[in-house]
Amino acid sequence: MPLSGRPHMVERGVLRGLRDGGGLLSLLSVVALLSLWEGAARAGWIHEAFFPRPTVVGAQFAALVREGVLGEHLSVTLGRLFWSFLVATLPGVALGLVLGVWRTAREVVDPLVAFVYPIPSVLFLPLAAIVLGRGEAARVATAAVTSFLLVVINTTAGVRQLDRGLLEAAMHYGAVGWRLFTKVLLPGSLPWIFTGLRLALGLTLIVVIAVEMVGAETGLGAWLWLSWQTLRVRDMYAGLLVIAALGLTVTYGLEAVRQRLVPWQRGLEREL
Amino acid sequence: MSGWAAAGWLLPRELRATAGVVAAALLWEGLARSGLLNPAYFPPTSRVLRVLWQDFRGGDLALHTLATLGRLGSAFLLAALPGLGIGILMGLFTVARRALDPYVVLLYPLPKVALLPLLLILLGVGDPAFVVTASLTAFFQIVVNTMDAVRNVDPLLVEVGRNYGARGFGLFWKVVLPAALPGILTGLRLGLGLSLVTLIAVEFAIAKSGLGHLVWRSWQMLATPQMFAALLVVGGIGILLTRGLKRVQDRLLRWQPTVDVWA
Repeated sequence: MPLSGRPHMVERGVLRGLRDGGGLLSLLSVVALLSLWEGAARAGWIHEAFFPRPTVVGAQFAALVREGVLGEHLSVTLGRLFWSFLVATLPGVALGLVLGVWRTAREVVDPLVAFVYPIPSVLFLPLAAIVLGRGEAARVATAAVTSFLLVVINTTAGVRQLDRGLLEAAMHYGAVGWRLFTKVLLPGSLPWIFTGLRLALGLTLIVVIAVEMVGAETGLGAWLWLSWQTLRVRDMYAGLLVIAALGLTVTYGLEAVRQRLVPWQRGLEREL
Repeated sequence: MSGWAAAGWLLPRELRATAGVVAAALLWEGLARSGLLNPAYFPPTSRVLRVLWQDFRGGDLALHTLATLGRLGSAFLLAALPGLGIGILMGLFTVARRALDPYVVLLYPLPKVALLPLLLILLGVGDPAFVVTASLTAFFQIVVNTMDAVRNVDPLLVEVGRNYGARGFGLFWKVVLPAALPGILTGLRLGLGLSLVTLIAVEFAIAKSGLGHLVWRSWQMLATPQMFAALLVVGGIGILLTRGLKRVQDRLLRWQPTVDVWA
């Protein structure tokens, strides 16, 4: 699945907007919508069973946080996110570096990657469950598949855009094998790798939530699904709030980190 | 590099690419037949291909494929028309951007599949809820890319257009839109791919038809050849949507060469 538009532009623009204060109009717009919602629900224009008032949702959210329910589900989801991300990225970066320098391997692997990459990850859940049993390992592996490929693709691209002259110079000065990898390839392609990691984290979150909805008893996705099945609409909105916050953190938080780590990097907004 | 690499160089590119796929298929076949992989779980490639052929002719697989494609088409149209409009407005007018930005900022990173339960409640269990969930994913992608593309049109171009007398709608139609087209098409392409992902997840979770449902059902019945056949079809659609559309886009925008870093 192609996730990257021009990856940084969007998030960078958003961050700039946030730093500028976002403009009074933005704030007004949100306040207006929430007030409208609240008013319409109180007046009975919209069905409170479907659209509970913002204040009611807020109160329920606070109650759930106090009871610790939401915190528990959040920590389960975060745990899965962490492991899936780890399982996807470490081998992904390694394989990407190898494919970046080894053309034959790249051309052999490319059609396989091209074929598997766009398959929505959730579909690997059955396969993972068959291989790993129906449990935590299968969920983590499912959420890791597409992210792994995404990291491979980005890392390979990062190595390939390295200046040929730079590589040759490094080899002439005796950087071969392991040293070539750690001293030249890895730092040189770091900005690209980072883009891959950031997109992969967002993608992993999506799949973790989806997998939880279809095949787990705990976690924020499972909480949403259960709230739907028992028609606890307010709980559902509360869960959505947490997931939205998680999505925001993953998307914009990492972009802020990247700006710190590789501030010199520009011109990567090319589509991958 | 090893002898392997040297041998690989002798083959033309397409052959090397095909060799990878064929080798993977043969390896799978061999492992399944020799019993190293449990054939009940991993049926040999030949068996999967036979099932794929039979089910397509028999109509079952074809019907599920059509169901998925139909939903995908509706979801895409539902997302693209308002997405383009809103994206263009937000790109052109600061007021529109300021007013709508907070919602885009908040909802763009939200995993849209999480909105499925809400939409099931609002629209009931059925195609409308599935389609809307899938279209929301594409919608935000299209809005964001379109806005971005319009905003990043070279001011020099606009300036030149003005000097040559283009005003208002003419300026937009003749100058801004063509310049923003690559970014807009990219957004449409990404949106389509993303809505497939969400749609399949939705089908897997709750629909009673479609390829996502077929994978789920085959899994529950341990009909693994059918499951793999469905996976193959999804992969094929995925390739068409990603690489195929990329090729179409490059052809449409021949004046603006893009660098393909991977292939």
